[in-house]
Amino acid sequence: MATWQWARTSRTRTQRLGARTDRRRPTGLAACAVAVALVLAGCSGDGPGGSGGGGEGDATLMLAADKGSPTFEENFNPYLQNKRSATSYIYEPLIMVNPLDAEQVPWLAESWEQPDPATIEMTLREGVTWTDGEPLTTEDIAFTFELIQEYPALDTRGAWNRIESVETTDTMITFHLQGDDTPALPVIGQTLIVPEHIWAEQDAPDTWANTEPVGTGPFTLGNFTPQQYTMDRNPDYWGEVAIDQIVLPSATEQLDIVNGNFDWGYSFMSDVENTWVGADENNTYWFPPGGVLGLLPNHDVQPFDDVHVRRGIALALDKGRIAEVASEGYMDAASQTGLLLPNHEELLAEDIPDSGIIAQDADAAIAAFEQAGFTHDGSTMRTPDGQPFTFAITTPNGYTDWLRAVQEIQRQLAEIGIEVDINSPQAAAYEANLSSGDYEMAFGGGLGGGDPYASYNSLLSSEFYAPNGETTQNNRIRYQSQEADDLLVAYRSAVEEAEQERIIGELQHLMFDELPGIAVYHGGMWGLFNDGRFTGWPSAEDPYASPQTWDSAPLLILTRLEPVQ
Amino acid sequence: MRYALRRFGLFALTLWAAVTLNFALPRMMPGDPADAAVARLAQNGPVDEATRAAVEAQLGIPDGNLIEQYLTYLGQVVRLDFGVSYTFYPQPVAELVGDALPYTLILVGAVTVLAFCLGTLLGVLAAWRRGSWLDALPTVSGSFINTFPYFWTALLLLFFLGYGLHWFPTSGAFSPTAWPEWSLTFIGDALYHAILPAVTMLVTSLGGWIIGMRNAMINTLGEDYVTFAEANGLRGRTVALRYAARNAILPNLTGFGLALGGVVGGSILVEQVFQYPGIGYLLFNSVIGQDYPLMQALFLMITVSVLVANLIVDLLYGVLDPRTRR
Repeated sequence: MATWQWARTSRTRTQRLGARTDRRRPTGLAACAVAVALVLAGCSGDGPGGSGGGGEGDATLMLAADKGSPTFEENFNPYLQNKRSATSYIYEPLIMVNPLDAEQVPWLAESWEQPDPATIEMTLREGVTWTDGEPLTTEDIAFTFELIQEYPALDTRGAWNRIESVETTDTMITFHLQGDDTPALPVIGQTLIVPEHIWAEQDAPDTWANTEPVGTGPFTLGNFTPQQYTMDRNPDYWGEVAIDQIVLPSATEQLDIVNGNFDWGYSFMSDVENTWVGADENNTYWFPPGGVLGLLPNHDVQPFDDVHVRRGIALALDKGRIAEVASEGYMDAASQTGLLLPNHEELLAEDIPDSGIIAQDADAAIAAFEQAGFTHDGSTMRTPDGQPFTFAITTPNGYTDWLRAVQEIQRQLAEIGIEVDINSPQAAAYEANLSSGDYEMAFGGGLGGGDPYASYNSLLSSEFYAPNGETTQNNRIRYQSQEADDLLVAYRSAVEEAEQERIIGELQHLMFDELPGIAVYHGGMWGLFNDGRFTGWPSAEDPYASPQTWDSAPLLILTRLEPVQ
Repeated sequence: MRYALRRFGLFALTLWAAVTLNFALPRMMPGDPADAAVARLAQNGPVDEATRAAVEAQLGIPDGNLIEQYLTYLGQVVRLDFGVSYTFYPQPVAELVGDALPYTLILVGAVTVLAFCLGTLLGVLAAWRRGSWLDALPTVSGSFINTFPYFWTALLLLFFLGYGLHWFPTSGAFSPTAWPEWSLTFIGDALYHAILPAVTMLVTSLGGWIIGMRNAMINTLGEDYVTFAEANGLRGRTVALRYAARNAILPNLTGFGLALGGVVGGSILVEQVFQYPGIGYLLFNSVIGQDYPLMQALFLMITVSVLVANLIVDLLYGVLDPRTRR
């Protein structure tokens, strides 16, 4: 589940020389890689000056979006998990979905409609070409979907779990779904489209590294070296793009970001005012919420099947304080509704008090436990059979922010006489424990995200239920409720926006009343920007895109930025 | 001859045990490679069933029973076919190891040989001039510096020489824009990037060699045959090097053999600090990502080189020290 902030202790390393720096022994950074006119020909990487990039008339963006390990492997296959980050700036989706609030933006599909809940009709944008000059046709769309059907390893969003068949005309693509399934639209729409005339010739597209990528996006691959690669502007791009070149170095640890003259980075930063903002007068940051973190009780472990116990725990916690301790004060307490605030303010059910943020109230917490048959003798909380109440919270090893949150939760629960142990297995073991139900209570994400329905569905639907000992990737809290299932199914047949919002409202009430998981605070998105060379970054005032540097979302930003003249 | 055969037999047995352990250990780790991959993806948002299924399909996580997996694995070991890495999918393991090995061999190998030669010479000198400043200085400073953890020395050098003074690059094995090739420019660039990690390892490992050699040498210098050689009026240098050091070096030679075997493993901490694309860094990544194929290849390579180094030292001992042949 989501760790928007995996604040690892940064290994001490310093910057790769950024472009536009001549403060130190330069490595002639972009200068050599890029065949920019003003560059010293044949520079070997240690010539003096090295003012690489950033010359007049070439708008070069230094982007910390990709991390070498420690060097880059060439892999531009958009469906493989180890692809270079910039692969998503080459291949484009039919529909762009803003991760902050799931707003859908027409991309390669100019428009779409759902004549009934089991059909999607999309109209292809006209005049789009591949970077080798071939036109984009509906054939390419049909081919892409055939490809990911034939190679399920490439179907990373599970489009074929929803699609029955795909039909095309010259301008239209029609998806027939396996049943009523309006939420399938963003899943199908976010599939990255590849050119048939190139991919059809590949024998093994599922292991193909695609080192000469041909896409429709605003950038093409420039120079590639093991420690840095560049992306050049696609002059024939169908949309607007004002960036001539992007430079992506492999060294993008926190220290590199602070010292590397980056225009855009994505990283949790301790003490951001002094580290990032202090590094350059034009540095700014925007840390919007990207998900809801909290406690995930295993409903197949007693007493967590009892709503009073879950409410007691929720009431015992000072969520603002936990947010402060865990996220260094960047994030706020989260709403129990599972909605992201302020991202989803207009969706919030009006009759839920305090935007659904449950305040700490020790007396009410103890009262809730007493309703579940527990007794509190002033110092110890005892279970109905008289034993002191203790349980373990599982959190991944190395996620220091989560660990701080869990330690604070441990401290706060001790105040009402509940003893908490902390299990911190390695991240992989944590995933395995949650999937197989081998835990009592876990700390993690998945209690809410940019797309409210998708979050509710994967958190609550019994469709994914598996008893402890069997694995499941969704509904790992093993929650079963007829009411939730009915609402989730009803949504799939709802084409009208008003009806969709009504159901989301009902689900908020369910989250608030039943507490399937206990929302604590927001997981952050850690956008770091520099206004000196480019303007138009998303911000709290203009939250048009998530600041993330992976997947398709960066295209929203890259096509919006303007170089400073 | 019987001695050599016995050594070879032991070598084969140890090798089989190592290969088998190498198969078993990664599989005893909690969580499987798909869990590790999903955990990595989950840092960017929730992962659903479909994505996990795609990841599993991509990785081709082995199923079937353990016996079958073991036999397949033995076959692959014999053919030196290690398959495709999980964390660097679809890169073949052999390529990844091949890319990383030169950096580690050259950096760690050169430093180990240099540290051994320099340390041994200094040790001989210290023992021969025992009590003088030639003894005190290397011995005391050596044992002092020897207690510094590698990574700490690395961080210090990085901070002062890399950050503070900007004399050296602070990460990587070559400049960001360089492409690895056999050209003077690139080799110069690579050597320049290797200075800080090399100095780190040299400084921290030198002390051990000095002290080991000095102590063995002082013991030997007390032997009757050395006194006899001196009484015969042989030159000091001849006595020190041909009589005493020749015998005193034996224990240090063992250490050297083992150190050489360990070279292949790289130096995880130093490579981490300097972001040096060698075997140590690769090993770290493979363990974090539960990358069985890569882990197996690396551990196998490391154990085999340590075992081979051991075998060579054993056989050399037989030549150098006739007493062992009994």
